[in-house]
Amino acid sequence: MGGKLPTQTYQGIARDKVDFDYLRNRLKVKHFEAKNAFSKKYPHVEKFLKEKGLDVGKIREHSAKIIGAGALTGTLLLTPPTGTKFLPPPQEVLEKIREKASAAGLPQKILVDSLAAVLPEKTRPLNRSEEKYLERIFEDILGIKTKANLEGEHLNTSYGLIGAEQHLKRYPGDGIGNHAPYLKEGIAPGLGAWGYFARSRADLSPSLEETEKWYAVVQTLYLPDWSSRQPYLRDWYKYRKVLIVNTNNGNAVIAAIADSGPAAWTGKHFGGSPEVMEYLGGPRYKKGAVVLFFVDDPQNKVPLGPVEYNKINLPQLALVET
Amino acid sequence: MSKLFFDQLLVLDEVEGEIKKIAKTQEEKEELWGLVDEMVHHRVLGCVLDRLPRENHEEFLERFHASPQDESLLGYLKEKIGDNIDELIRQEIGDLAFELLEEIRAEKK
Repeated sequence: MGGKLPTQTYQGIARDKVDFDYLRNRLKVKHFEAKNAFSKKYPHVEKFLKEKGLDVGKIREHSAKIIGAGALTGTLLLTPPTGTKFLPPPQEVLEKIREKASAAGLPQKILVDSLAAVLPEKTRPLNRSEEKYLERIFEDILGIKTKANLEGEHLNTSYGLIGAEQHLKRYPGDGIGNHAPYLKEGIAPGLGAWGYFARSRADLSPSLEETEKWYAVVQTLYLPDWSSRQPYLRDWYKYRKVLIVNTNNGNAVIAAIADSGPAAWTGKHFGGSPEVMEYLGGPRYKKGAVVLFFVDDPQNKVPLGPVEYNKINLPQLALVET
Repeated sequence: MSKLFFDQLLVLDEVEGEIKKIAKTQEEKEELWGLVDEMVHHRVLGCVLDRLPRENHEEFLERFHASPQDESLLGYLKEKIGDNIDELIRQEIGDLAFELLEEIRAEKK
């Protein structure tokens, strides 16, 4: 006699599927309770928001629309952003950078000082002129052409907090043992937003191996037009190269976008693979402020990995090899 | 920019870590993230409105509706409430995190 008894068919249901469905239902109940309690306690607020066509639970979408509209019209925020610094013309900033460089300063120190001159203390979305400055600074000091807005695409923020992520599974059957030397970070149980990198281990090219090693996570899910511009945006962001600069120490790395997140309620805006985080801030670096710009590299010539600008001589800045 | 004035006070890393262990696809992850996000909004707004004098509710809501990302709203709330609203919101989110982790861990047993 083959097959399972009718009373055993539940065994065919994946355990993890049950876990997910159960948790989703529990959270839905809790969500409903929170919503209900709010409506009962603040009927006047519900009424007010309803008249404005707003649902408390959907405030993040509302915010995305407002800021998206502001970015289009050039007024990123309705009120002046906190910590905006008066910026002299870009040429003046660059002259100062060059002066410092020729005074035999370390490029990393120059970069950190330049960032401090432009960036506010607390992370927030940058305005267009701040981003322009940074693009010039990165090109001059790091020798890498970057754009906060590339081909019309812009992340919700280019200055935010990055958090440590786990390794991603590159192909079916991939395990943490294949990701040496960074083993203690572990491997994510689920897949990245773009699934496996390759269909099998044999299909994993060195280039894809590098992509997972130096991967970045950005909040594509919160882009105001993410849903309405599919599949274009999904393809555009897949493995898109970004420059990530630790604004505290000037360490910089080129990474490829390979996952979407983190959730907004973590207080973080980006994520980095174990390799990315190690290079940006060392083995104990779990969270910190970074600038993240797209790499303008139509010829695909900029390699993924550390930007070791301390070890190169940039004639434009007359830097001495260190 | 999808950002709310209280985002800087939210730290639910542990909840995110647990969700990642259970959700196997991006869609599943985002669905659970969305549910948590909505609960956060209700709880934070509830926490604020509980302490804000009733006569200031409309003004606050007008400002919040016009510019939900504006961090100066925290300054406004501090002025009207007098308490350390940052700390109160953090506490509320901490309570929510505790409850959510209880739900998730109970599910694992």
